Amino acid sequence: MGEHRDVFVVCNNVEELGGLQRWAHQIGRLLAERGHRVRLVGVTHADHPHDYGRDTPYEISVLYERPPAPRWRPRTALDRLDAAAWTRMAVRRAGMRRAAGRLTEIFRTAGPGAVVIAAQVWAMEWVALADTRGMTVVGMSHESYAATRASSRYERVKRYFSGADAFLALTREDADAWAVAGMPAAAAMPNPLHVHPARTASLDERVVVWLGRMSYEKGLDLLLEAWARVAPRYPGWRLRLYGSGSEEPGIRALASELGVDGGVEFAGPTHDLERALTGGSVFALSSREEGFPMSVMEAMAYGLPVVAFDCAPGVRELVAHEAAGLLVPPGDTAGFAGALTRLMEDDELRRRLGGAARESVRRFSPDAVVDRWERLFALLDR
Amino acid sequence: MPVVSSRGASGGVAVSVVVIVYNDARRLPDAVRSVLEQSLRSVEVVIVDDASTDGSARVAERFAASHPDRVRVVRLPENSGGCGRPRNVGLEHARGDHVMFLDSDDTLDRHACRTLLAAAEETGADLVSGRCVRVFTDTGEERAWYPGQYRRSAVYESVLDNPDLLYDTLSTNKCYRRDFIERAGLRFVEGLHYEDLLWSAQAYLAARRIAVVPHRVYNWAVVRRGPNLSITNRRADLRNFADRLAVHRAVDEEFLWHGAAGLKRRKDAKFLNHDLILYLRELRSRDAEYRREFLDLAREYLAELGPAAFEEGRPIPAIAGLMVLCGDYDAALAAADYRPRKGVRPTLSTDLVERDGRVYWCDRHLDGAFARRVLDVTDLGVHSAPFRSFKLGGRVTSVTRRGSEVRVAGDAVNPLGRIAPDRLTGRLEFRDRQRKGRAFSVPAAVSTDGRRIRWEASFHPGRVIRPIGLVDQTFGLWLVLSADGRNVTVRLTSSDVGYEEPGLAVRPRLTRVAGDFMEFYVPESGELALRTVARGAIARATLPLARRIAASGGGARIWRAVTRRERAVLAALRSRRTKIAVYNALLRRLPIRRGTVVFESHLGAQYSDNPKYVYEELRRRKTGHRAVWSYRGAAKGFPADAELVRRGSWAYYHALARAEFWVDNQGFPAGLVKRPETTYLQTWHGSAYKRMGLDEPRTKAGTRARRERMRAMVERYDHFLIRSEHDRRTLVRGLGVTADLLPTGYPRNDPLVNGGDPGELDALRRRLGLPAGRTVVLYAPTFRADEKGRPERRFEIPFDLGRFVRELGGTHVLLVRAHYLSAVVVPPGLGHAVVDVGEVHDVTPLLLLSDVLVTDYSSLMFDYALLDRPMVFHTPDADAYVSRRGAYFDLAEVAPGPVVTGEDELFDALREARSGPDRHAGRRRRFAERFGEYDTGSAAKAVVDAIFAGGPRG
Repeated sequence: MGEHRDVFVVCNNVEELGGLQRWAHQIGRLLAERGHRVRLVGVTHADHPHDYGRDTPYEISVLYERPPAPRWRPRTALDRLDAAAWTRMAVRRAGMRRAAGRLTEIFRTAGPGAVVIAAQVWAMEWVALADTRGMTVVGMSHESYAATRASSRYERVKRYFSGADAFLALTREDADAWAVAGMPAAAAMPNPLHVHPARTASLDERVVVWLGRMSYEKGLDLLLEAWARVAPRYPGWRLRLYGSGSEEPGIRALASELGVDGGVEFAGPTHDLERALTGGSVFALSSREEGFPMSVMEAMAYGLPVVAFDCAPGVRELVAHEAAGLLVPPGDTAGFAGALTRLMEDDELRRRLGGAARESVRRFSPDAVVDRWERLFALLDR
Repeated sequence: MPVVSSRGASGGVAVSVVVIVYNDARRLPDAVRSVLEQSLRSVEVVIVDDASTDGSARVAERFAASHPDRVRVVRLPENSGGCGRPRNVGLEHARGDHVMFLDSDDTLDRHACRTLLAAAEETGADLVSGRCVRVFTDTGEERAWYPGQYRRSAVYESVLDNPDLLYDTLSTNKCYRRDFIERAGLRFVEGLHYEDLLWSAQAYLAARRIAVVPHRVYNWAVVRRGPNLSITNRRADLRNFADRLAVHRAVDEEFLWHGAAGLKRRKDAKFLNHDLILYLRELRSRDAEYRREFLDLAREYLAELGPAAFEEGRPIPAIAGLMVLCGDYDAALAAADYRPRKGVRPTLSTDLVERDGRVYWCDRHLDGAFARRVLDVTDLGVHSAPFRSFKLGGRVTSVTRRGSEVRVAGDAVNPLGRIAPDRLTGRLEFRDRQRKGRAFSVPAAVSTDGRRIRWEASFHPGRVIRPIGLVDQTFGLWLVLSADGRNVTVRLTSSDVGYEEPGLAVRPRLTRVAGDFMEFYVPESGELALRTVARGAIARATLPLARRIAASGGGARIWRAVTRRERAVLAALRSRRTKIAVYNALLRRLPIRRGTVVFESHLGAQYSDNPKYVYEELRRRKTGHRAVWSYRGAAKGFPADAELVRRGSWAYYHALARAEFWVDNQGFPAGLVKRPETTYLQTWHGSAYKRMGLDEPRTKAGTRARRERMRAMVERYDHFLIRSEHDRRTLVRGLGVTADLLPTGYPRNDPLVNGGDPGELDALRRRLGLPAGRTVVLYAPTFRADEKGRPERRFEIPFDLGRFVRELGGTHVLLVRAHYLSAVVVPPGLGHAVVDVGEVHDVTPLLLLSDVLVTDYSSLMFDYALLDRPMVFHTPDADAYVSRRGAYFDLAEVAPGPVVTGEDELFDALREARSGPDRHAGRRRRFAERFGEYDTGSAAKAVVDAIFAGGPRG
C-alpha cells in the first residue's frame, strides 16, 4: 500500500475545539506520518479558535475570511418579495462560487490518486461546486444514522453525498441503514483512538466517572435518576462529573432535588484525561443519542468497564454487552442503576470487563484505522 | 481520469459482467453503459448476442470498437430461446476474478461492482448478493425485491444457516467468484425458462460462504403493459408454467441429492406461498381451456409434494394448493382472492362453515383429518374480523334488458350470516379503473337469507355511466352494502354464465368518436369490468384512430399528470396536517357555540368510560347542553340524541373549534390549540400500574421535542379527575398535569358503588345469552406493545379455551374482552361457555355482570376492586412486560387476589372463586382503599356540579 497521495480533508472549520476538529487534526497527522501529503481545509474560521499547535505536518487553509450569510428560503408568499434577502442570497452564491474557485486552486496542486474527504455535509456544498475531476471524493457522516434521520441534515446528506465516490458512516450498522435509505456507496469507517495510556485505572477507587458536555442529549438527568436509586445503598461511592454546558444549572438543581448532591461531584472541565479516568472504576455513558463516542473509547483504553444506554450502533460496536461493559435499554433508569450496582459490588466483574475493554478497543488503534483508510484508497482506485 | 494504478490482486480484471441480449437494440446501450460507468474501473463487459435480428449486434460491436480493452462481443449462431445458453457462453469468455450477469433491459447501480467486490474480498465469500430493485417502466415506481433479506450486511457459512436466502432466486443481483463457479461446475440449464431458479439453488448449495449486502446493486426494469412483455411477466403462457414446474422438479432433485430435505420443504412452501398464488390470482381472466390445462399441470405437481408442504406453507396458500389438488376450482380461487398482491385488501369469496366450534374454508372435503386441519381457518379470525379489514366476494349472475333498461343481478357471500337482513341497503358502483375515487352508481335492492346475499339493480346505462372517453375506457363493477350503519365493499366477479353479449350502450362525453358501447371483460386482477368498444359505424371508424392519437400524443401523459395532481391535491385536503393548520388558523377564530360539549372516549372507538357517564348525568339533569360525540369507524352504538361526528373529519375539527367544553379520556389530536374560552375536562381512563408519560423509559430516552409535544397536549387540560392519592403520585406526575385536580373519583365507577341499572344489565345478560347459575368470569387483558411502543394488533389468549370449556364449561362462563387497541380471536361455538364481548362499547356493565375478574395488568383491577368480588391475575409474561414498560408497584406484593402464571393454577383459582374459601377479602379491601379512596358513587354528580353547573351560558 505504500503509495503516497494528496489527501484533502474539508470541514466546516478546522479551528474550533470540538470532536470533529480533533478527529480532522488527528487523521491529518496519522496520514502524514504514513507519507501522504495532507491538507486540512476549513470553509470558515472558528469564532473561538483552539490552538492545535504550530508545526503540524500538514497545511491548513480557510476558504472564507468572513463567514458567508446563512442560507435563506422564502417560507411565505410575502417572503418572496423581500428584495434584501434575495440580494443577500445572490451575494452568497457569488461568494460560494469564488470560495469554490479557491478550493479548485487548492485541489489543482494534487498529483494522481488524490482524495478529497468532505467530513461534513455543509462543507460538501463547496466541494460539490469545486472542480474535482480526476480525484476521488469521499463523504462522511460523523453521527449515527438515526440522529441524521431526525434532523434537516438527512435530505442534505442524500442530496450532496449521493454523487460521492464513497460515503462513510461510523459503523457498519449505520452504513447499512444508509444503504437501505438509498446511498449505494455507503461504507463504514470508525474514528481512531487518540490516547496512549501510560497507565491504566486500578479499579480500586470508589468512583463512577462521567465525562462530557452537559446537554440534554447526554442524558445526565437520567444518570442522576439512576444514581438516586444506587447512592443510598452505597454511601462510600461517588459519582464524578467532568464537563460543563448549558444544562449544568438544571443538573445541579436536579441533584439536590433527588437528594444526591452529597455524593455527586461537579468536577468541571478537565484537560487531564488520565487523571480523570484513572481516578474512577466505572465509566457511565447516559446519552440519549451518540455517534461513535470518543469518551467511551478513552475510558476503555484506560481499562474502565462501561455502563451505557444502548442508544446507537456506535455504542454497540464499542461495548460488547457483558464483555467490555453492560448495555441497558434506552431510558431504563432502573436497569442502569442495576448495572452500576453489579459493577460496584463485584470487584472481579469490574476487572474482567475492564481488561476486556482495554483489549477490545485496540481494534481502533491509529494503526488499524489508518490501514483501513489506505485499503479504502486502494479500493477506490481499482 | 486518473491512471488506473492497480487492476486487482491478480493484476487482471476484477469483475466480468456478462450482458445477454436478444433483439433489444434500444435498451442495450443503457445496460452496457451502466457497466462501463461503474465506480470500479477494473470491470469488463462480455456481450452475448443470442442471434438477434434487429440492430443489437451492431450496437454491441460499436461498444467493442470504442472500448476495445473493456468490451467483447460473442454472437451465437442461432437463437437459443432463453437466457441459459447465452449466459453459459458468456461464462466461457469471462476473464475476471468475479462474474456477474446483466440482462439487456436492466442496469447496474453505479457502485454495484465495487460494493460486491469489496464484500467478497473482505469476507472471502464465494457468492455475494445485493439488493435488487424492480423499476416499473410505466410509472417509474420502485419496489425492492425481498427487502426483508437486504436490511443489513451478513455473512453465512452455508445456505443452511439462513434458508430464507432461497427466496431470492435471481441470478443477476449477485457476484460470484469465477473459480467457485468452475470448482462447482455451475452452468445454467438450457431450453427452459426460469433457469435462474435452478442456478440459484445450485449456487447457494455449493457456496462455502455467502455474503449479503443491503446496498442496491441491480435495477430490474419491469414492463407491465404493452406487447413486449418480458418472460417473467408473460404468465399467460402455459408453457411458462410447465417450465417452472420442470425447474422446480430439478431443484427438488438437487436438494435431495445434497441431503437437504429441510430446504426442499421450504421451497415447496414457497411454491405454494408465492408461485401458485401468483398464477391463481390471474386465473379468472383466462379462458376455460387455459384454466383446465393449468389446473391439470398444477395438480400433477402438487400431488408429488406430499403433506409436509401444506403444513409448512402459510394457511391460505396451503388451502389454495390443497383445493387445486382436490379439483375444487372455486375454493382455490377464493383462497387466491383472500391473498391478493401487497397493498390490496383481501376478498372473502368463500362460504365459510362452522363445525363443532371451528371455522372451515368451505363445506366440502371435511371428511379427512388432514384436509380438515388445512381448511381450519378459525385462528385466522376471519369470522370475527371487522368488515373494514376485507372485502366480500360477490358475483354477477345475470344481465337482462327491457328496452334501454338493464337489470343486473347477482349474489355475494354472507360470512357465517354476520350480515343481518334488517337495515340492509346497497348500491352498484362503476368505478374508473384508472382513476381512484371516480365512480357512477345506482341503487341496488339487497336481501339475505342468512347464507348468501342477493342483489339486483335496474338502470339506463346511457344515463348512468357517462365516461369522458379515451382517458377512462375501463370501469370495474362493485357493490357497496350498508349494513347496520357500516359500509361493506363487495368485489364482483363473473360467474361464467355467458351474459357478456351485447354489452351496454353508452355515450362518452367526447361523443361517439370515443366509442359507443361498453362490454364486459375480466382483467388480470380478476374482478368483472366494462371496457369501451365501438359497435356503430361511426365509432368503428373513429375509435381506433382516436385511441392511437390519445395514447401516442401528449394526451395520455397530460391526463396522467392531471390525475396525479388532482390526487395529490385531494390527499393534501384530506390530510390531518391540513385540517389542523386550518383549525389553528381559521376555525378556532369562529364564534364559540355556547353550551356545546364535544365528548370522546378512547379516540372515538367507543361510547363508554367517564365521558359516557358525564354525558348521561348531563342528560338526566336536562341542563340544556348540546352534546357532540366523536366516533371512529362506525357510528353504531353511539347515542342517537347527540350530534355524531367522525373523528378526523372536517365536521369533527369544526365541532372542536367552536365547542365550549371538551370532555375526553385520552387525548384530542396533538397540535390543536385549545382556545381559552373552551374548558377541557380530561377524565383519564384508569389508574396506573405501568409507568406513564415522563416515567416511561421510551419518553425518558426520547428527544426533547417529543417531551414538548406531550407537554403541549397535557397543558390543554383545565380539569383532571383523580380517584386516589396514588393517581396524584403516578399519573399526575408522569403526565406532567398542571390542570386543576378534581378528587371526585370516576363517573364510570358510580354504578360499581351504587349498583347499575337493573334493566340495562338484564338486557345485556339476555343479549349475551348468559345462563343463570353459572359463575361469570370476565377475562380482560391489556394490550402489549412492541419496542417502539406501538400496540400489537393481535392478542393471543395465553391459555387453552378448549380446556376451559372442557373443565369449567359446566359451571363457568367466560367473557373475553380484548383491549380496544388489540383484537383476540375467539373460536365460535364454544357453546355458551365462551363469549366474545369485544363489541360491547362500555365495560362497566360487564364488570357488574361478572362474578370474577381475570386480568393481567389492566387498570380495570382498580375499578373492579370496588365491587369486592374475586380477582385473579394471570401474568405469564410479567417479567418481559415490566422490563419493557416499567411498573409503579410490585403486583405480586399488592395484588388483591392470586397472581398465577400457569394454566393449571388459573383454572384452580377459578374453581376456588366459585366454591372455595375467600382468602383475599382483606387484601381486596386494602387495595380498594388505596387506589379508589375518592370513588364514593357520586362522581358524575360532583363533576357536573363543578364544571357544568348553571347550565349553558349565553
